[in-house]
Amino acid sequence: MTLFQLFGIIVVASPAVLVAVLGVTTAWRWPMSERAIHRWIFSAVLIGMAAAIAVLVLMLITGDREVPVEMGQWVVIPEEEFHFHLKFLFDRLSVPFVILSFLLCGTIGAFTNRYLHREPGYRRFSMCYALFTLGMVVTSLAGTIEVLFFGWELVGLSSALLIAFFHERTAAVRNGQWVWSIYRISDAAFLIAALALHHLTGEGDFDLMMGAGPWPEGVAALTPDQALFVGSLLLIAAMGKSALVPFSGWLPRAMEGPTPSSAVFYGALSVHLGAFLLLRVSPILERSAILSAAVMVVGILTAVTAAASARVQSDIKSSLAYASLTQVGVIVAEIGFGLRVIPLIHIIGHACLRTLQLLRAPSLLRDYHTLENAIGGHLPHKASGWSRWFPQPWQRWAYRSAIERFSLDGWLEAIVVRPFMGVFRWCDRMERQWTDWLAGGQSRESDDISPHEVIVEELKL
Amino acid sequence: MIDRAACLLPAQGPITAFVYDNPLCALEDLAFEKAVAVGAKTFGCHPYWTEEQFHRELTRGRILPDDLAAELIDDLGDHADTLLGFLGTRYHLRLAMLEQPLRLAPTRELEWLVTESDALRQFRDEVSPAIRSKLVNRTRQWILAEWQGDRGDAQPDRAREIIDPVLAAFDMTGASHWQDATWTRFVLEAVWSACLVGVRDAAPPLAEVAMPIRHRDMLLEATGDDSDVLVHGMLIRFCAAFCDQGLAAWPLPTRDAGFFHGFSNLYGEGSGGPEPWLRGLRAEFEAHAKRGLTPLESIERSLHDLGVAEEEQEAYLARTLLALRGWAGMIWQMETRGDRVPHPVPRGSLVEFLAVRLVLERLALADIAREAFGWQGSLRELRGFVSERIPKQESLTTEQRAFQVFQLAQLRGWRPEALCQLSRFEWATLIREVEAFSSLERRRIFQRAFERRYRMQALDALAATCRLSCLTPVEEAAPPFQVITCIDDREESFRRHLEEIEPGCETFGTAGFFGVAMYFRGAADAHDMPLCPIVVTPKHYVREHVALTFEGTERVRKQTRHAIGTVTHRLHMGSRTFTGGVLAAVLGSLASIPLVMRVLFPRATAHLRIWFGGFVQPPPVTQLELERTEATPGTEAGHIGYTVPEMATIVERLLRDIGLTGRFARIVFVLGHGSASLNNPHESAYNCGACAGGSGGPNARALAQMANDARVRELLAQHGLVIPDATRFIGGHHDTCNDSVRVDDLERLASTHTPDFIRLRGVVNEARRRNAQERCRRFYSAGLNLTADAAIRHVEGRAEDLSQARPEFKHANALCLVGRRQWSRGLFLDRRAFLQSYDPAEDDERFSVLERILQAVVPVCSGINLQYYFSSVDPVGWGAGNKLSHNIASLVGVMDGAASDLRPGLHRQMIEIHEPMRLLFVIETSPAGIHQIMERNPRIAALVRGQWVQLACIDPAQGGIAIVSDGLFVSHTPERSDLPEACSSRDWYYGCRDNVGFARIMPRASLSTNASGGTP
Repeated sequence: MTLFQLFGIIVVASPAVLVAVLGVTTAWRWPMSERAIHRWIFSAVLIGMAAAIAVLVLMLITGDREVPVEMGQWVVIPEEEFHFHLKFLFDRLSVPFVILSFLLCGTIGAFTNRYLHREPGYRRFSMCYALFTLGMVVTSLAGTIEVLFFGWELVGLSSALLIAFFHERTAAVRNGQWVWSIYRISDAAFLIAALALHHLTGEGDFDLMMGAGPWPEGVAALTPDQALFVGSLLLIAAMGKSALVPFSGWLPRAMEGPTPSSAVFYGALSVHLGAFLLLRVSPILERSAILSAAVMVVGILTAVTAAASARVQSDIKSSLAYASLTQVGVIVAEIGFGLRVIPLIHIIGHACLRTLQLLRAPSLLRDYHTLENAIGGHLPHKASGWSRWFPQPWQRWAYRSAIERFSLDGWLEAIVVRPFMGVFRWCDRMERQWTDWLAGGQSRESDDISPHEVIVEELKL
Repeated sequence: MIDRAACLLPAQGPITAFVYDNPLCALEDLAFEKAVAVGAKTFGCHPYWTEEQFHRELTRGRILPDDLAAELIDDLGDHADTLLGFLGTRYHLRLAMLEQPLRLAPTRELEWLVTESDALRQFRDEVSPAIRSKLVNRTRQWILAEWQGDRGDAQPDRAREIIDPVLAAFDMTGASHWQDATWTRFVLEAVWSACLVGVRDAAPPLAEVAMPIRHRDMLLEATGDDSDVLVHGMLIRFCAAFCDQGLAAWPLPTRDAGFFHGFSNLYGEGSGGPEPWLRGLRAEFEAHAKRGLTPLESIERSLHDLGVAEEEQEAYLARTLLALRGWAGMIWQMETRGDRVPHPVPRGSLVEFLAVRLVLERLALADIAREAFGWQGSLRELRGFVSERIPKQESLTTEQRAFQVFQLAQLRGWRPEALCQLSRFEWATLIREVEAFSSLERRRIFQRAFERRYRMQALDALAATCRLSCLTPVEEAAPPFQVITCIDDREESFRRHLEEIEPGCETFGTAGFFGVAMYFRGAADAHDMPLCPIVVTPKHYVREHVALTFEGTERVRKQTRHAIGTVTHRLHMGSRTFTGGVLAAVLGSLASIPLVMRVLFPRATAHLRIWFGGFVQPPPVTQLELERTEATPGTEAGHIGYTVPEMATIVERLLRDIGLTGRFARIVFVLGHGSASLNNPHESAYNCGACAGGSGGPNARALAQMANDARVRELLAQHGLVIPDATRFIGGHHDTCNDSVRVDDLERLASTHTPDFIRLRGVVNEARRRNAQERCRRFYSAGLNLTADAAIRHVEGRAEDLSQARPEFKHANALCLVGRRQWSRGLFLDRRAFLQSYDPAEDDERFSVLERILQAVVPVCSGINLQYYFSSVDPVGWGAGNKLSHNIASLVGVMDGAASDLRPGLHRQMIEIHEPMRLLFVIETSPAGIHQIMERNPRIAALVRGQWVQLACIDPAQGGIAIVSDGLFVSHTPERSDLPEACSSRDWYYGCRDNVGFARIMPRASLSTNASGGTP
């Protein structure tokens, strides 16, 4: 085993061990103090980060720019030409990204320890947090598209659970479910793309599939049409995960969780995953000009709508969420434009900046007060210069669109959700008719039970 | 009508100046217990803790059975001994219902409990062995003697109806050899069967659950679809934009047109968007415009369209307003108290809000009804139509009523035989009795018992101290120094520690604005801050200026501050736009440094920041512009400050209030307080309550400067109040979060007083270390055995920590003492008492000094206390919920998560150590004095007579204590006369996280030899 392999395994194993420890103790209901949980989290992240930095140093010393770490074939079905290959790839894209993940997750872990102190859901939060960290590490280092999908799912699951963290509040659960549904759409697209890739190239491994040369120099072994097909599916996956138009509506909804989880999710890490995916499969983008153009358009559209929405939001978390989205849009547009290293730097810088801003969000009143004192008067509270050039009705229209967030959720609901539900409600009606006919009467006992719990106390609270 | 409904809205203004008030102030005319019951119905929040919480307190001994018994007897009065047949007296029945929890569950859950769980197999754990064996043995005899074989046929029909099904369920052949377990099952089955039959036959009819008044509630019950989700989604966004004080970069363009026209201009044009329920919106506003309807007319029209009859309009509007009470309340506050925000809203905005809300509501209702029922008719008939589709509910089902009796039968040992013999009439009586003492009533008694326990302990402790105080003669020598602090309960421990360290010193407490009601602007501040209680509108302005010596330095620094501020603001706004991209790409990675530093090393980062800040902050030497030369107060040059006679009045009033009129020490330290913490939208709620959420440091400084003025002293001397020349006043500021103390205007202190000051400084430093140590016992994240130095580091770290959700615990108030310090000196009050100094000897026969003290103290302290009461009774309903999901909206309040109603009240992290009790005032005066003052002050009288506060008085001469009960003074009989003693506060509280009881703190030298049980 080389040093590379040793460190590589440690990077992935440390969050995996954390998940195992927290998961097993929770499943068996072993008591575990906040302090103990925190110590586990802290050491897992620290060890993982140290190992990742060690890999980086080794890469710099040896000049090796692409290091695969194999963990064997787990499933091989020769007839179907399918294999599940657990493989991680350390290159110029994944190493910075994984270090960023560890840095931010570690900071958030330390933050959470005090922020969620004595909160009944402390352990649940830690569990989701561990899952999220593992998901981020696996996604960033994934060497094959299946492994990437695995990490991608972990991130999605833990995000949805954390959004619905305060499950006693209806809004939190409702919004958690909304995000989960969007993730399902993007995951479905991702899965089809993975299958298609296997079908077309017989490979899911990035280093083989993308041809010679370490990232970003690879060339995909696909025809432009194939690239367009697979790439579009991957683009949909990225759009869902990064809240690009038309899925932007979920990002502000994700603010239901406690501040630290909001900070890692929409502020910093998971919202950049879509962009990361596009970077990872950038050789495919390069094969098709139409695809690149589509990526660029989606990015620009997102950036413009989000920038407009960010300007009108009057609560700090939505405002920051849309500010984040603006930058993600810009990053995606940069990728569509053919840039590779700049988007990566942009992601890293933006993630750090936004995490800091989100963690400081509750200090806003104090910060404004300080600023007012420094400036010596009220902060300027006027529409900026350019908007005054437009006639009043235009301004009103633009403002209304922005405050209604361009009704993206409304459109999704009208175009996707309603027809979808319509079909299934129709099926349900048919099934009920059929079973009623078979039973010769009312066939569903659950119909009598009202969905609301009767509240017993003389006060209906 | 709308104004009346608006009174119900939360009266909390913008969060930047947090003001405590009773959340039920609209119902203050009613008595407390009546008001909370009405309030609970109106607002849908708990009136008291739940029974479960009270039972927990009962188990851990916080409430004693004696308290329950005493309060129950007091409540029942003459009816306590009413006999209820074989059930015993009413008192015993009710006591049984209090002492053991009666469980109640939905009918379906009951069915499950009865068939699947052990409910019919084993007695409840609480049933005593004596009752168990009695029930089993007597039933065995009865069954074997009278029911075996065919003997049962001779029994009355009623008994057969009850027992036969039970007999059928058991194989009776071997009954004489059954084990006790089998008999237990038999007994329980029989009792349950008896209860079911009894309740079914005899139960008095219950009132049907009233139909809700709003269409939305009815539709929600009938369909499960909530029209408020649709309406609120839109309304919250618009309200937030309308109320915004500068958070959004692009303000609402139609804000100047008012709420109604602003909304209709924005939404009344263009296409309707994809949401089907909004399709009619444009037509609606066009119709409004065509007929030229005013908002009021629009409300009338909406009510007409909704089919709301004249007589129910008020209730309907109130309910509608309360559905989004946070935002509605904020709009109401911003229109009525426009002086409290930079961008107020015009009068009448609440009416316009209501008009818009009703328009939206009509659209949403029509849409839901259309979706669910294909309803095309008019909304006028909707309620009638929907009410037929809601299943009729009774408040309790037969099973639920029977289950209550079933549990009582076990607890009280009612045999099946006896139950079988009860007549229908007796059953009806029984059920009525049980239901008359409903859960709400039980909680009411629990609340009284909960308060009684603390009241007894507190009054016992005071009575014991009174006796001791009467024995110790007042020393004649002047103390080394005197300290005047705020009345605040958090200063109680600070004062106690000062006195422990320097037994010679004296401390006083008074409302923390020290009588100086002013607008204040610091040297580096942009605005005038009102620093006085919210009921007072200040007339005077005071400014702080940098001393002339440093004028040049300050000019440069001011420019630097301005430049840094402007750049920061640009970056702050810019980071949210496209330009942020460049910024993020170039500088973003650098943000990781402060990010990691602030989270991992908060205290070190703070030191670094302060060190850097030192280069731009105003120079340390400043002076107050306090003296006015012109006749009228105002903001222009010459009009700022007070005239000398005004200053003399302020100083005289304060000194006479607290009874400091002689024996002046060489140094009198006036200490205001405030609290600074990071990442805390509720920061101002932690500040001084008497300064309307500001910090009292400037007031203390101003007072000290006034009292040092020779001309002021001359005027005071003419009034008979002589302050010796050797006495100097010093102002200061105590930060209750990190326990730091700042001293102002030291450069003005004469060198003759330097040794005195150094002595004071030593004591204060030690006191704040010990104070921090005492506070740390409450923090679970601090070890119980922290040293004083570690404790001060811990609290400093907390104040600077971004991730700290509890920078400090706030009030745990339970007691308010108005009187000489003598009564409480050396008494460990556990930071739970407001302490106001008052010397009855200084007062006249009209009690005018006490009156003006109580005019401020009673409303302010009870306001704080009641806000805490309600927020801790129901943190989600009355309070602000959980801090962790708070989201600052429009710079005026916080929302929960992404979008919600504004959350007034206190969040859960703030009320953790508070026990919800009405404040107990103990006033050193005669009952006659209280009566006189109540006659002259209706507000105080309403609070006392309505039992919103508890009141007791200490006789200044004899030290006897009398409690007000139903408007009469009843003398307090102590439960125990001894008081535990300890050498120091630390000895007493050491190792405890919870509330700690009263104790006498005696420095070791004077610890009496016959101390009884001085260990905690």
